[in-house]
Amino acid sequence: MTDDSACAPGAEEPGEGPKRTAPATILIRFLKEAPSSIIGLVALLALAQRQSLGAWAVLVLLGWGVAMVLFAWLRWRSFTYEIAEGEVVIAQGLLHRSRRSIPFERIQDVSIERSPLARLLGLALVRIETGGGDKDEGKLDSVTLAEAERLRATLRGGLGRRNAAAERPASGAHPAVEEDDDADLVFATGLGRVLLAGAFNFSLIWVAAIFGVLQTFDDFIDWRGLFDAVGREVEAHSSLTELIGAAAIGIGITIGLGFVAGMARTVLRDFGFRLTHAQGRFRRTRGLLTRSEVVIDDRRIQLALLRRGLISGHLGWVGLDFQTLGGSNDTGGRQQAAPFARVKEAARVVAAAGLPRLEQPALVPVSSGHIVRAAIRHGGPLALAAGIGAIFLPPLIWLFLLLPVPVGLALLRRRNHRYGMRETSLQVMRGVLVRRCWIVPYGAVQVVSVRRGPLQRLLGTASVSVDTAGAGVAHHPNVEDLAVDDAVALARGLLERA
Amino acid sequence: MAIDIVPLEPLERGQLHVMRVRGAFTALVLIGLAVAAELILAERFPLPGLVAAPVLLIAIWVGLIAPSRRWRHWGYAFTGSELHVAHGWLFQVHTIVPVVRVQHIDVAQGPLQRAFGVATLVLHTAGTDASTVGLPGISRETAEDIRDSIRARIGSAQ
Repeated sequence: MTDDSACAPGAEEPGEGPKRTAPATILIRFLKEAPSSIIGLVALLALAQRQSLGAWAVLVLLGWGVAMVLFAWLRWRSFTYEIAEGEVVIAQGLLHRSRRSIPFERIQDVSIERSPLARLLGLALVRIETGGGDKDEGKLDSVTLAEAERLRATLRGGLGRRNAAAERPASGAHPAVEEDDDADLVFATGLGRVLLAGAFNFSLIWVAAIFGVLQTFDDFIDWRGLFDAVGREVEAHSSLTELIGAAAIGIGITIGLGFVAGMARTVLRDFGFRLTHAQGRFRRTRGLLTRSEVVIDDRRIQLALLRRGLISGHLGWVGLDFQTLGGSNDTGGRQQAAPFARVKEAARVVAAAGLPRLEQPALVPVSSGHIVRAAIRHGGPLALAAGIGAIFLPPLIWLFLLLPVPVGLALLRRRNHRYGMRETSLQVMRGVLVRRCWIVPYGAVQVVSVRRGPLQRLLGTASVSVDTAGAGVAHHPNVEDLAVDDAVALARGLLERA
Repeated sequence: MAIDIVPLEPLERGQLHVMRVRGAFTALVLIGLAVAAELILAERFPLPGLVAAPVLLIAIWVGLIAPSRRWRHWGYAFTGSELHVAHGWLFQVHTIVPVVRVQHIDVAQGPLQRAFGVATLVLHTAGTDASTVGLPGISRETAEDIRDSIRARIGSAQ
């Protein structure tokens, strides 16, 4: 077994020394983990009974229990925490020792959780939250309630000293923001606007969903009978014009359904959209049947993302999202700030958030290597399919006629992919069908990576990934296929301003 | 040719040994599986070595050639205001973490790493994709030095 001193803090730190969690934690952990192994034991016992090996089974059971307690004890023994000077230090691990330092400056909140079992034993689970991606970044499982409260007071004290002026609302329920009379109405939509937005939200997905629901009622509806009836109908009116007419009606109904579905969804969600701004917070209310209310703290806004659809964009409409940093009670991720707005209205919301304005004309395009890579990525599979397919089925050679489509798409992609390091923000534009523009204040850039694949080395390009807090799985403000020197300059520039 | 942003330092030689041991272990597992497959298929397939030969080649690559190549392509630099971590040859990645964005820091050491006297430094940021950036294979002292200076930087920046 490893010596604890191997990971003990250096001598430079005064303080109270590393502490262990409450010993009763072992009991809690044992009780928590016991049920998962009981299933296996029951099977074992059943087997033993049939083979009349009862004594052995009891022995195995005892051994199992002792091993689990021993393991829980070892884990408890190897876990220590310490409030050192300016940081919390958590050391853990039996074989794989790890020592985590959480600087006071990074602690966002300290929360205390108490499960029924912990309450029975007078214990509490303390979570130290830093706004990092990891949920369990600073979990103390579990300490006595008094110790938990002492920790919270100590750590929150540090928090208070740091930004007493800008203290966030205390944790608890959502900060109850009353509808202030002096709150600025930043953006609101009337019914006409919502209906218009709904028209652009035409979606066949919802039609598919409706059919999916119908499918689940399969047992109640006599599909076979229905199809037979339709079949008879078709046979009865089998003239070609009538068939085409029927098909047209079918397609019309589907499109109509998609239109209505998009409209209904938009009206339900965005009816009476109001975005107000007061005391450093946005407050958004919307919804027809369920009015939802979301409060977005200005300081949690990481970036603004403007979406411009293919048709609605040409008519001058854009959508605006804020990407926010999650916290103890706030949901992180993208929040719609103006779902369907004029460019000017969106710009006003961006300004209200204290973000710089979009300077689209000042953005520069990426390297022309982007066209090559995009064309290969979009057209490659098609060319391959046509080539291999034509060997077996010669008419497939005509598929090559489709190749201008991916090439054209690649040209458009490069034309729409631009970036620029403006005064206080990185601005990136990307996308063909939906064009997205990101406004990323330099302070929100967390990690910068420069990447190169084999093709990019041939082309002399590199991509720059920009990682931000609260980003989803898709649509990051990355800049693809820059000339290598430009990529390095961009990375350096971002770091200098970080 | 790597992406040239700052001059990079190589990892400790200890990490090379760690990678070699890991590679050798994977290679042995592969060979073991291949031998088992050969024995099972021996009766049905008249061609001995049909499975084992390609697997042996892969095992030689994984166990003998790849570790040192991969080790060579790792590099790092700590400039005081940012940590650079670069790796990969076919797909090169050069990750840069500004010190002021670091949320917390881990210094971790697995049993194999401990045996060869190296450690892994892990920086956590509030980001999403790259919220943890790991630098394996530097000495424990270096890792702790970097950690301490990052901590000092965060403290003074506020």
